[in-house]
Amino acid sequence: MATPRTARQKEVRRHLLVYAGLTPFLVIAVFPIYWMVITAFKQEPDLYRMENIPFWFNMAPTLKNFNILFYQTNYGSWIVNTMTIATWVAIITLLTAVPAGYALARLRLPGAENIGIAIFMTYLVPGIILFLPLSRVVATLGLQDSWWALVLVYPTFTVPFCTWLMMGFFKTVPMEMEEAARVDGCGQLGAFIRVVLPVSVPGVLTAVIFAFTLSMQDFLYGLAFVSPGDQKPVPVGVPTELIRGDVYFWGSLMGAALLVGLPVAILYNFFLDRFIQGITGGVVK
Amino acid sequence: MTTASLHGGPEPSARAAVVSAPARPAERMWWQSHSAQRKTFGYTLLAPAALYVLLLVGAPFLFSLWLAVSDANVGDPVAHFVGLENFRAAWEMDTFWIAFRNSVVFLVVAAIFKGLLGTSLAFLLLQNFRGKKLIRGLVVIPFTLPIAISVLSWKWMYDSQFSVINWVLSRAGLIGSYGSESWPVWLGQPHLALAACIAVNVWRTFPFSAIVLLAGFTAIPLEVLDAAKVDGCTFFQRFRHIVTPMIFPILMIGFLFDTVFTLSDLSVVYLLTQGGPANASKILPVLAYQIGIQAGNLGRGAAIALFLVPLLLPALILVLRNIKRREW
Repeated sequence: MATPRTARQKEVRRHLLVYAGLTPFLVIAVFPIYWMVITAFKQEPDLYRMENIPFWFNMAPTLKNFNILFYQTNYGSWIVNTMTIATWVAIITLLTAVPAGYALARLRLPGAENIGIAIFMTYLVPGIILFLPLSRVVATLGLQDSWWALVLVYPTFTVPFCTWLMMGFFKTVPMEMEEAARVDGCGQLGAFIRVVLPVSVPGVLTAVIFAFTLSMQDFLYGLAFVSPGDQKPVPVGVPTELIRGDVYFWGSLMGAALLVGLPVAILYNFFLDRFIQGITGGVVK
Repeated sequence: MTTASLHGGPEPSARAAVVSAPARPAERMWWQSHSAQRKTFGYTLLAPAALYVLLLVGAPFLFSLWLAVSDANVGDPVAHFVGLENFRAAWEMDTFWIAFRNSVVFLVVAAIFKGLLGTSLAFLLLQNFRGKKLIRGLVVIPFTLPIAISVLSWKWMYDSQFSVINWVLSRAGLIGSYGSESWPVWLGQPHLALAACIAVNVWRTFPFSAIVLLAGFTAIPLEVLDAAKVDGCTFFQRFRHIVTPMIFPILMIGFLFDTVFTLSDLSVVYLLTQGGPANASKILPVLAYQIGIQAGNLGRGAAIALFLVPLLLPALILVLRNIKRREW
């Protein structure tokens, strides 16, 4: 009995050490989010009483901040805008990146590898260099001041990333599948659509998730191209429209940020490893 | 020369053209056309994505070069060539050099802290312990939360009067009470403002550094390490000769991606301080935005944004080389 107990004690001690090491990281990472949550549900006067301990409710929690958001601001339209933009971006990304990824991975095109890298590299051209010329493009097309401008420009980063992602994904589908399909009389397009695509649903879904989450990470393009209050997506509308001059309604601000930010964060969380895999060039299996 | 041609018959290739479909040449032609068809099919599938990227990334990039040497203005659709005037004007602007210096300081200081925090976190997450998935999921939230949204939380935590950070420091006796000399106004004091912005960037990206590093560690096959152990390698030797070279490429890519994103991100500074107080936290992206969009001077703005290129280029080249070396 003596040996297993000391082994167990060792294990417990090791756990305690690891947890102790992780605690500061957890506090740093999570506290700002906790602070948002608690602020969103606090009554206004409760935010400004420095003599109380601010980490918990000193007055009853309230939903008033959310009420203000939905009834007195454009928040509702921002959510609709965000979802509509993301949906269009996802559609455009799928229609372009999935076929391109397939072509680059499977059809033994001359120069496929270099073309793939070239497309991926454009993901690294930062928006800050592109936003001024793109503002001209947007203006020429008459899209300034509408969220359609963002539908046009967000694929500039989702298409390169998702093409790269799909390229990696299609490489993992066994070649025999298409060969069998061809033997059975499928054309090239038929083999792609009827045989390869159905087994690639997880990959395609991942691309959709990234089209969604990456478009919600943007701030610059939304800030630069869309100024009417009711046309903005949430990440741009909340900081630019809810802050007027020096008056901050912190409760509503935090509520607005949370309501959209947390679902995105959680969704992204599940696919983070795929993201890292994508940018490190698929070397990490 | 074949027997047939010796006997006065046509060359096989010529014969193939006359006689319909003899076996071998026809087979080759079928294969050739199949290959051509495959290529056509492939390039057709590739075209939409390639066109999108060419038209909306490639062309705008070239267009930004043109803007930078023109007097393009938001109000005026006709732009004239002005040579290097915009670059010269930027060069002579005090604000530009402050922004340039701040950008470099921002990048370097943030990278050091991200590196330290990320590495320690990665080593902790490498251990096996209960609740690892949950803890990992919580710790990476800063990176997955849209940046414009999490910055708001920081703006509230940095509030000049009701800052929760100051509340803690004050209760701990490290600073005086509100209004006293030692009460920090995070976003209002020149040195603190830039540091406060850097802190948000570090907070957002240290989980990214950790996860990239972790991905590198877990890509090392355990057998290799075990084999080295059996062969009598010390911990240090294993680290130096196996772990480091194996994770180095991944580490580089993560580091360089972060460089690109940190250098070109305007949201943190724009939302926290707008570059203030008195340009103390101004960085190049914020300056480019303020001049290009807010002041409407597209040419000048484009020129300032392009000053990021020499800072980014080494990063881009290194990424390219690293990706190319990869086994597919």
